[in-house]
Amino acid sequence: MNVVSLIREANIARLHFERSDKPVNVLDDACIVQMEAHLEALEAEPPEILVLDSGMAGCFIAGADLDMIAAVTDEKKATQLAERGQSLCRRIEVLPSVSIALVHGACMGGGLEMALACDYIVAVDDKRTQLALPEIKIGIHPGFGGCVRLPKRVGWIQAVEMILSGRAVDAKRARRIGLAALCSKPEQQDDAVSYLAAKGKVKTRKFNPWWLKLWPARVLFFQQVEKKTYARLKHLDVEAAYPAIPATIALLQEIIGMSDGQALAREAESLGRLAVTPTCKNLIRVFHLGDALKKQDAAKRGRKAVAGFKKAAVYGAGVMGGGIAWVASKTMDVDLHEVDAEPLARGMRGIGRLATRRGRTDSKRLNRIRPVLDSSGLSDVDVVIEAVLEDIKVKRKLWAEVGKYVPTETLLLSNTSSLSISDMQHRRANAERIAGMHFFNPAPKMPLVEVIAGEKTTDNTLDKTCALAASWGKYPIIVADRPGFLINRCLMPYMVAALNLLETGQKPEHVDGVLKRFGMPMGAIELADRVGLDICHHVGAHLAEAFEHQQAMPGWFDRMVEAGLLGEKSGKGFFVYEKGKQGVLNPELGTYLPSARVKEQEFDADMAASADVMTAADIEDACLIPMLVEALQCLSEQVVEDPLHLDAAFVYGIGFPPFRGGLLRHFASYDESALTQKIEALGLITPDNLEVLHEFQ
Amino acid sequence: MATRSKRQHKTDVAIVAGIRTPLGKASGVFDQLNVVDLGVLSVREVLARSPVSRDDIDQVIIGNVIQPSEAANVARVIALTAGVPRRVPAHTVHRNCASGMQAITDAAEKIQLGRADVVLAGGVESMTHAPLLFHDRFRAAMAKLSRARTVQQKLPVLMEIAKAPWKPRIALLEGLTDPTVGLGMGQTAEVLAREFGISRREQDEFSVQSHHRAATSWDEGWFDDEVMHVFAPPSFAVVHRDEGIRAEQSLEALAKLKPVFDKPLGSVTAGNSSQITDGAAMLILASREKAEAEGWPVMGYLHDWAYAGCDPARMGLGPVFATQRLLLSAGMSVSDLARVEINEAFAAQVLACLKAMDSDAFANKYLGIGKAVGAPAMDILNVHGGAVAFGHPVGMTGARLVLTLLRQLRDDTGGGLAVGTLCIGGGQGGAVLIGSEPAGGES
Repeated sequence: MNVVSLIREANIARLHFERSDKPVNVLDDACIVQMEAHLEALEAEPPEILVLDSGMAGCFIAGADLDMIAAVTDEKKATQLAERGQSLCRRIEVLPSVSIALVHGACMGGGLEMALACDYIVAVDDKRTQLALPEIKIGIHPGFGGCVRLPKRVGWIQAVEMILSGRAVDAKRARRIGLAALCSKPEQQDDAVSYLAAKGKVKTRKFNPWWLKLWPARVLFFQQVEKKTYARLKHLDVEAAYPAIPATIALLQEIIGMSDGQALAREAESLGRLAVTPTCKNLIRVFHLGDALKKQDAAKRGRKAVAGFKKAAVYGAGVMGGGIAWVASKTMDVDLHEVDAEPLARGMRGIGRLATRRGRTDSKRLNRIRPVLDSSGLSDVDVVIEAVLEDIKVKRKLWAEVGKYVPTETLLLSNTSSLSISDMQHRRANAERIAGMHFFNPAPKMPLVEVIAGEKTTDNTLDKTCALAASWGKYPIIVADRPGFLINRCLMPYMVAALNLLETGQKPEHVDGVLKRFGMPMGAIELADRVGLDICHHVGAHLAEAFEHQQAMPGWFDRMVEAGLLGEKSGKGFFVYEKGKQGVLNPELGTYLPSARVKEQEFDADMAASADVMTAADIEDACLIPMLVEALQCLSEQVVEDPLHLDAAFVYGIGFPPFRGGLLRHFASYDESALTQKIEALGLITPDNLEVLHEFQ
Repeated sequence: MATRSKRQHKTDVAIVAGIRTPLGKASGVFDQLNVVDLGVLSVREVLARSPVSRDDIDQVIIGNVIQPSEAANVARVIALTAGVPRRVPAHTVHRNCASGMQAITDAAEKIQLGRADVVLAGGVESMTHAPLLFHDRFRAAMAKLSRARTVQQKLPVLMEIAKAPWKPRIALLEGLTDPTVGLGMGQTAEVLAREFGISRREQDEFSVQSHHRAATSWDEGWFDDEVMHVFAPPSFAVVHRDEGIRAEQSLEALAKLKPVFDKPLGSVTAGNSSQITDGAAMLILASREKAEAEGWPVMGYLHDWAYAGCDPARMGLGPVFATQRLLLSAGMSVSDLARVEINEAFAAQVLACLKAMDSDAFANKYLGIGKAVGAPAMDILNVHGGAVAFGHPVGMTGARLVLTLLRQLRDDTGGGLAVGTLCIGGGQGGAVLIGSEPAGGES
């Protein structure tokens, strides 16, 4: 099949990328083979002008084929793969023709590297035109010469930022930073080509900035880059977790001032080493999992209906409600309903903070959110999302009340974390339009959304709900209407396990530190503080009641709640919080937690207690295995059907470290009998579907 | 007025919804909301609260005085930002202090002529954001600089720029000065105070009454429906009550203030003048047929209106001329009215209007009629306070008067007729006649 064709017309030759087997252009084996053939023809008879363009709507070239990278297991093969791509780019570069890449749509990774090999890039001004080298996000770095050519085009400072963050630039910005030679409107493409062709082939490009040629400046610069990049990952062992980051920084530093040939060889070598790391494989896997959730059938079916949605009403202006309102304002007008002015003002203030980034306020989006204290504006809403008090009576009353005003096809979604959707539907006239849409805190950041169907929820409602979440850039996962749904149900044993560790004398900082080093975004103890101890207590009690096997929170934890130590929101929990920042351990903790008190009395606590300090691996297992057991239990109860979805859910819902590939994937690397032993040692029942893990090896 | 008989057959204009923002003092609570923000807030709110959908709207007309340079034709910018469909045209109108009223009467004219069925009309003003300007010599020098090519040409131009006045001109003050007679608005009020013999004490008493009436009405919750809640950045604290009202205002405190416009002998002070404020008011007008066919609730009807010119130096008397013209053409007298609102640009100016309305001599000399039209009694005039207490965001006030009168007829008097009138800088007056029922005997 033809995926790239060579079209000659007068003095112009076009390399036209277009394929019917995939929705986007990718550089896979077929494409590379055809390119090689075309290049031979071009070399034999070079045209005056060479244009690279795409026939796919909204896509130039989306990059190298991920499956190809995922399948490589041999370092040498990976290096060869890179070298093959590099030589393609090199051959375009040295053609005597003036080469121009007409970028209209996504131009990612290998696609951008190919475009960089051309003399000029024309970025067509369109929302979909995005240029990026996102390789770092899948645990590698650009391998087709991007590390060598991008710095020449945009200067080292900009290039290092783009390569290490993987961030995309749009057409206008591409022009501003010099990545694109021109930013043209779609109708001006031909003019752009003849304008640039007249400028002739680019001979040399200036080294920018000049001071990076000086060795001391170079060292200082890369020290800063390293410091800045590592700051985000400060609890991790970056070498082990994300080997691509130090490798990329080292590579970039090494190739400054090197000849192209040498630099390309280094790049290919380094890529070979990275492409075979488990981190790379896991990150590609996680990317696919997220994509699968976003593009699941339900979301596809509902897409059309949701595209016409214009207005949402969000009830409850708490942290969750405000976050949801902000998310929804991405695509529609939002009415934020609240009973009293005071909490509404607080909610709006939170949204104001979300709207302000680097000192600039997105007032256009902020203007879309209307704070409401009465029942106005409901007559034309397409979706109502409630994030009010977690009380079935309050929610049922709300649906009855709202039902009076809203049109008959409006979706009624509940952001509940523990209540049953079927209970909510009981004797409600609009039951078939009620569904659950459970966001994770903080809603604007966490990509996962649990979508829950009650008994009476229609498929149509479910489809629309999934599509709605996807339209906001979220990953919907359909879960059964069981207590705690999926994530909270699995989180609770994890949290209880961490609390039990405290009881046995482990320090909260130690437990949290281990979990953070494992890769969790925050420790289990801090998580309790951030969520709010009262809510943890509430959910814990609820789940313990619903499931025999689930442990309730320990008694001393309940006493903390009674004493008003609620975590971040009250300023004190396990830790002390000031303006949202975590401070020292709460000195009052000893009053509630007996083991903490003992430690305090012994001044040399560290020395004396060192005997019973658990190793990091033991703490990881002690906390995560209960979560695994519960997750497997959920699978056998069919809370979620596809085990793959489960892995995605943990990554996107609670930030399970993506470089580990997901919860099941992580434990699949354990020896089964050893795992069984560990489960039993923790006093848990070995799940009978442990063999599910086999598929994840 | 010659068209009076014809007008009898014109369509009735119904007002189906209206809302206003609270009025915030200049550089006060709305410091970070510009004209567009205020307009968008009120447009969104009035659309959300009424059964009228944004797709029903045929036109948008908004009055605004200090038109922002970054949003030319501010009505269009507001309409688009607030989500009014793109196909709906929008224009901005300007008749100084009556701009908001002008928007409404223009809307009514369009409806009567059958050129529109539903019009979103109102006024918006952010006096906070009145710009600072450069002197014209500075502008001219800058223009020369852009034409100068060589260094030799540029140097003298740069000298010229250096010598040009750098002190900013305050657009707000210039806007409040009448260029044809060279008097500030406050100075015209001083003219009236002198000519009609209105003492400082009379003015202060009237001002205290305005504050007390406003404060009492707010405390009773009378304004709750008229005024929306605004959550203004950066603090997003809720603003509902008008910021300028001083419930504790006493005569003694007012007496301590020094005159601002005619120092030191004048009598017009900051305390007995309207306050410089920000705010927006929006109404939805529709033909009676359309409103009835759609089943929209009607707040009241706009029966008639009149604008009249007078001496720019005595612009405060505008309401006398406009009201007289309006009542004459409607064949009514002040005694037929249940409520009257005369905008309190200055306490002295309102009191002067009252005296002029009662004066046969004035009627004879200036209105060409033998007998005075009569002044409204204090118990039907500005019952819930006025601009001395709330403030007077110039382009918005006209719309606010219409809105508050509609609610007074509905909630206070149980129907009847009302006149809202205001004085207009440059020597004009505007007046509207509002009724709770459609004009009698028509379709």
